Amino acid sequence: MKKLLTIILALTILLPVVTMAVERLPKPEKLVLDNGLTVYFLKNPELPLVSFRMLIPGAGLAFEPQGYDGLASLTTSLLLKGTRTMSAEEIAEALDFMGARLSLGDAEEYASVSGEALVEHLPRLLQITADCLTSPAFKEDEYKKELARKTDTLKSLKDNLGAALRQYFRKAYFGSHPFGQLSSGTESSLKKMSLTEIKKFFASRFRPDIAIMAVVGDIDRDRLLGLLKETIGCWPKPNTAPPSLDILPLPVPRGRKLILVDKPDATQSYFALGSPGFAVNDKISSRASLMNTLWGGRFTSWLNTELRIKRGLTYGASSSFQSWKNGGLFMAGSYTKNDQIGQMLDITFDLLKKARDKGFSEEEAESARNYLLGQFPQTLETNGSKAGAYLRVIFYGLGFDYYDRYLNEITTVKAADLKKAALELLPEKDFVLVVVGKGDEIRKILSKYGQFQEKKITDPDF
Amino acid sequence: MPKKILLFITGLILMSAMLEASFTTQDIKVHQLDNGLKIIFFEDHKIPSISYYTFFRVGSRNERPGLTGVSHFIEHMMFNGTKKFGPGEFDRIMEFYGGSNNAYTSDDLTAYTDWFPPHALEKMIEMEADRMQGLIFDPEVFESERGVVASERRMGVENNNEAILQENVRATAIMAHPYHWDVIGWMSDILSWRREEVIQYYRTYYAPNNAVLVVVGDFDSQKTLELIKKYYAGIPSQTPPPPVTTTEPPQMGRKEVVIKKEAQSPSFLVVYHSPKCQDPDFFALSILEKPLLRGESSRLYRRLVRDEQLAISVSGGLDEKIDPYLFSIFVKPRPGVDLDKIEKIIDEELNKVIEQGLTDQEYQKALNIIRSDFYFSLQTNSGKANLLGASELLFGSYEELFTLIDRYSQVKREDIPGVAKKYFHELNKTVGQLIPQGGNK
Repeated sequence: MKKLLTIILALTILLPVVTMAVERLPKPEKLVLDNGLTVYFLKNPELPLVSFRMLIPGAGLAFEPQGYDGLASLTTSLLLKGTRTMSAEEIAEALDFMGARLSLGDAEEYASVSGEALVEHLPRLLQITADCLTSPAFKEDEYKKELARKTDTLKSLKDNLGAALRQYFRKAYFGSHPFGQLSSGTESSLKKMSLTEIKKFFASRFRPDIAIMAVVGDIDRDRLLGLLKETIGCWPKPNTAPPSLDILPLPVPRGRKLILVDKPDATQSYFALGSPGFAVNDKISSRASLMNTLWGGRFTSWLNTELRIKRGLTYGASSSFQSWKNGGLFMAGSYTKNDQIGQMLDITFDLLKKARDKGFSEEEAESARNYLLGQFPQTLETNGSKAGAYLRVIFYGLGFDYYDRYLNEITTVKAADLKKAALELLPEKDFVLVVVGKGDEIRKILSKYGQFQEKKITDPDF
Repeated sequence: MPKKILLFITGLILMSAMLEASFTTQDIKVHQLDNGLKIIFFEDHKIPSISYYTFFRVGSRNERPGLTGVSHFIEHMMFNGTKKFGPGEFDRIMEFYGGSNNAYTSDDLTAYTDWFPPHALEKMIEMEADRMQGLIFDPEVFESERGVVASERRMGVENNNEAILQENVRATAIMAHPYHWDVIGWMSDILSWRREEVIQYYRTYYAPNNAVLVVVGDFDSQKTLELIKKYYAGIPSQTPPPPVTTTEPPQMGRKEVVIKKEAQSPSFLVVYHSPKCQDPDFFALSILEKPLLRGESSRLYRRLVRDEQLAISVSGGLDEKIDPYLFSIFVKPRPGVDLDKIEKIIDEELNKVIEQGLTDQEYQKALNIIRSDFYFSLQTNSGKANLLGASELLFGSYEELFTLIDRYSQVKREDIPGVAKKYFHELNKTVGQLIPQGGNK
């Protein structure tokens, strides 16, 4: 594989970056069920498939009680492990038998459900989904199994430097802010985890009246509406007022926060550098996306050109913006042989400075514009990606013409705007830097950047 | 590296009878230029985008000791300059035109996958044709890219316990055939490839008569064919590459690899020699793989993860390969468990299949999975392009894509125990264990 970069981008930032080049996001039909659940629907008869997505705001990891890292994630996995009518085995068997996909996950701001199947299997898939959301059994033995599995997964996570780095970085950057909760859990959070807490979280956080759903695929409106009423429409609306969805403002680093994580057998060192980004609906987002495209967001970006293409220091180097309702994060990262980490960091800092001091050329601006516009159509090619875009637009209150407006903005951005975005967003003095690598080899190299707080990878937690 | 193979593993399992009218063999247009270049077109104007895939019949299967990893290295060098477009120009120009790309190398093939807006088509054809014959292998760039690949190996294999185990097990199970080594190649080879040898390898395998173009998306077939002729027709064909003649001799007893390494948790892998993808037995094993390994309802998941709680996860199965390769069962054990017990349980479960076969429900499940996987992979231009190309190179013709259904439906449920017995036996087995240093065993 030539580019790890593409994958990283797709996972972290691309959603806010996409623009509407030629193909607009078709406007969906809005259906509201009696229990308050809003469903956005688009028919696509091309293949005999249907995809759906659902967001449950307020059920994400930022709403976990402090210190209960992994609680939202355990809650979503337990939903698939048995209901009043089906055992965990029966759920797995029913899903596998259809060749269907059903997954639940936890992001910071919401829990999500994602399903797809051949259209003939949709009724059964919706039935199972509704059953999992409305009557989870939360059995003690299933809970113990999931907790044990999560504990073991956490242990093997520390064998994977890239994955471990992400956890260390999040803790370092967000600290005790709700976004510092780790979906993987930590050694101490999993020790004090309890099924009672999980049940409490589920009871107060999972409710249809604030949930939003999108369905795209080869099915007629009336048939779908009938199916939804019989299944997810039976999810009772609670009598209580919805819980607050407010999240504290994101922390803003002051000065340099430097962390070294020692892994004595590492042959490579991984770094992550982070600083504040911007909220989803911030006007800067089109300029920022273009600027990041040039700085570290694509294969020929400055960062990847200097670190990989010109010097062969690494297999991939990239940067991204991640945005939420009330703020965002800029992150750059790469990895190299232990003894080359100093060279890599020097170049990274030089490039940040260069973008802030000199900015970008008009030709670069044109290239970035073409790139974002040209890559857009594929981002909404599948049923699932269209459904995901609907939920994004609704959840963040962007309006269905969001992608059109965004496109127009992209086409008007000039080099001078990109320099302004760099000055506003790329870190200069205030940032968090985390390095995971072989301490004995890199400690001295790193000392020139300042005083690193040191951790051992074998120590519990992050 | 091993991951890229997954790109088309799921996809190649197909059901032609259920195919939509919009994607049938009649909708595919095929051409061949005089120099041997084969071209496969599928027009689809849903989105303003084109997927342009170039497949070369070369992979680590074509390498030899000293030159292991070179197919993958050339994949990297394909972005590093020709006489016409300097180092890095391909990516710079492509991104300027709004395009993006990736590439992958497997044991059997190398694929260059481009997707871009329609206005970029002629530029892309020009640049793809150019790098099919015009790479310069600038010595300085050559050295820098060697460093990138070494870094890729360090990241992908040496810092990845599963990959280390997989590489060792593969090399132990397969002793003669070039599937012995991984696509990334041995580190000592990566560090010592000679430029002239690499150029010779490139000349041999990067020729129009050794390549297939697949174009899917928003384009006009007639006009595009003219453009392809304009840029590719002048590329001379080459002497066909030598065939791979080495055949893996039958294994004569259980083999075992034990790796001791600093790690937080152990890894476990068992493999059996298995047939090439064009062998009828391949389809039976591919059906068997689903109820055995796929999903939380599979036999091995239920037994190892749910019931006995010895493992975190179970995965694996069969790979589509030109020559006979391996059926893998990969287990992520829980820390501290007895790995021999895991092996014993796998043996028990395989013996149950040999003695009792699959249930009706399991057989139907396998066919359902195969059918839905197929449709999921057809959702995008790139998915279609990849399936057409992989089918052409691995199964012998893109048309196989539309007839493979028959081959799956020809497998009867009663055939499965016999096929399982043929492959899942002690003499055909290689076991790998990675044990964290300090010992949990």
